[in-house]
Amino acid sequence: MATVTVEGFPVRTEFSYDLTHHMWVEELGGERVRVGMDALGLETSGTLAHLMMVEVGTEVARGEPFGSLEAEKYVGPLVAPLSGTVLAVNADAVASPSLVQSDPYGAGWMVELSASDLEGERSGLVSGDEIVTRFAQKVTEYRLEGVLAE
Amino acid sequence: MTTTTTPRRLLPLVEPEDRRESPDWVRISMASALALRMRSGRFARPFEFGGINLLLNYASGCRSDCSYCGLARTRPGTYEDKSFIRVEWPLVRTDELVGRMARYEDRLTRLCISMVTHGRAFPDTVEITERIRARVSTPLSILVAPPTLDRNRLEIFKAAGVDMIGIGLDAVTEDLFRHHRTDVPSGGGLSWEQYWEVVDAARDVFGPWKVNCHTLVGLGETDEDMIDLFCRLAERQIFSYLFSFNPEPDSRLGDRPKAPLHRWRRIQLARHLIEDEGFGRDRFRFDDDGNLVAILGPVDDDVVERAVASGIPFMTNGCPGPSGEPGCTRPFGSYRPSEPVRDYPWPPTPDDLRRIREEMRLWEVYPPAVERRR
Repeated sequence: MATVTVEGFPVRTEFSYDLTHHMWVEELGGERVRVGMDALGLETSGTLAHLMMVEVGTEVARGEPFGSLEAEKYVGPLVAPLSGTVLAVNADAVASPSLVQSDPYGAGWMVELSASDLEGERSGLVSGDEIVTRFAQKVTEYRLEGVLAE
Repeated sequence: MTTTTTPRRLLPLVEPEDRRESPDWVRISMASALALRMRSGRFARPFEFGGINLLLNYASGCRSDCSYCGLARTRPGTYEDKSFIRVEWPLVRTDELVGRMARYEDRLTRLCISMVTHGRAFPDTVEITERIRARVSTPLSILVAPPTLDRNRLEIFKAAGVDMIGIGLDAVTEDLFRHHRTDVPSGGGLSWEQYWEVVDAARDVFGPWKVNCHTLVGLGETDEDMIDLFCRLAERQIFSYLFSFNPEPDSRLGDRPKAPLHRWRRIQLARHLIEDEGFGRDRFRFDDDGNLVAILGPVDDDVVERAVASGIPFMTNGCPGPSGEPGCTRPFGSYRPSEPVRDYPWPPTPDDLRRIREEMRLWEVYPPAVERRR
């Protein structure tokens, strides 16, 4: 397990990322993957107040919402980084959204999926050496946008 | 041999929460914290926001115990942990805040200090006003705590550079005021008469359209009560600022539902017609229970439809910015981001207007032109 800090934000380098929607993917073996939101996506949303997620058994398509996140002044979709069927929903995170912010890459995971096209869709995610560079670019973008505290 | 060592006493590195009081510390709205980049986050819909709201902070809290307020004395929890208007108000150093205001002054539209009912509220508000005025020229309002004030103190506010005064009447009739704010479990109640004395004094000191009364829809008032007050205030060139009751969890009114959306929209429209289009009390009809049943617009000039189409009646009522534009817009102040917008902090888009028309069901109280001419 490798966590590095990029511009003040923790990043797990063994995960893959959809950095447009700030979702991470951990491959658990076979087609099973775990999905959550990265620390930068959470920071720019504000303090989480509510999480809603689809039910187990729901089929989701890559790029489509599997739930929504609501903060004090923001509401937005949780976007699936891969297509698949929802195998599990983290009920603890739904009950206590603060868990997602305190441990985004661990206990704050959101759903587990059986990915329907892992081989085909994996290439759309950012992984390996590219993670740190791309993550740093997003931090710069958000600083310019004014959504990060100074 | 056993030795006992006395632990070395260290000075605290961080000032304890209970010492972080005004005037050196203030709370700010979460929207203000985002605008001044004191907190990370974004709004559900991007828009220009520059209305900064400050709230005095005391460890002993507000002395009032209003039934609907997050800061009420008998609401469970310590004052430090209490939310206000349902969300956290970050506690910040006043001087750091003023520095941020100065840095971002070009995008600020209105500043407002909210007093609380506390013995130190008046001198501390003057002190904070002076610190702001020394570095920032954005128009500054004060939402006053009438029990701490008299005419002389209002004059001191004006001399310090305050241009508008708000009075949080909230309850629009004397009976409702007594029920929610005077006959309260703790802290001593507030006085309807005293609130109006301060309204009168503020109107004298600050002049026409420089005073506003906050009115809260959903405390048990009728439409007629609301519209009567709008008319009385407009006659005196005092603004009515509308707020939608939003139940504060664990407050005495924590289980009370909000006003239905159709009612809220019609009241927004009525307030606009009275204040901006000169409608009088005789333009509105009510049933025996005080519900609005008809708006009587001129037959040959569809001012009501024009007002709706402009979207302006449904925008946040608040003190203006330097050029008269909406300055204090309180985004998501009385609704969650996932709920229908109650008062729009941005000009409503065509999609917003379509939704507003559906929510308002105006045809029930204002039939189409063809039917009105019959």
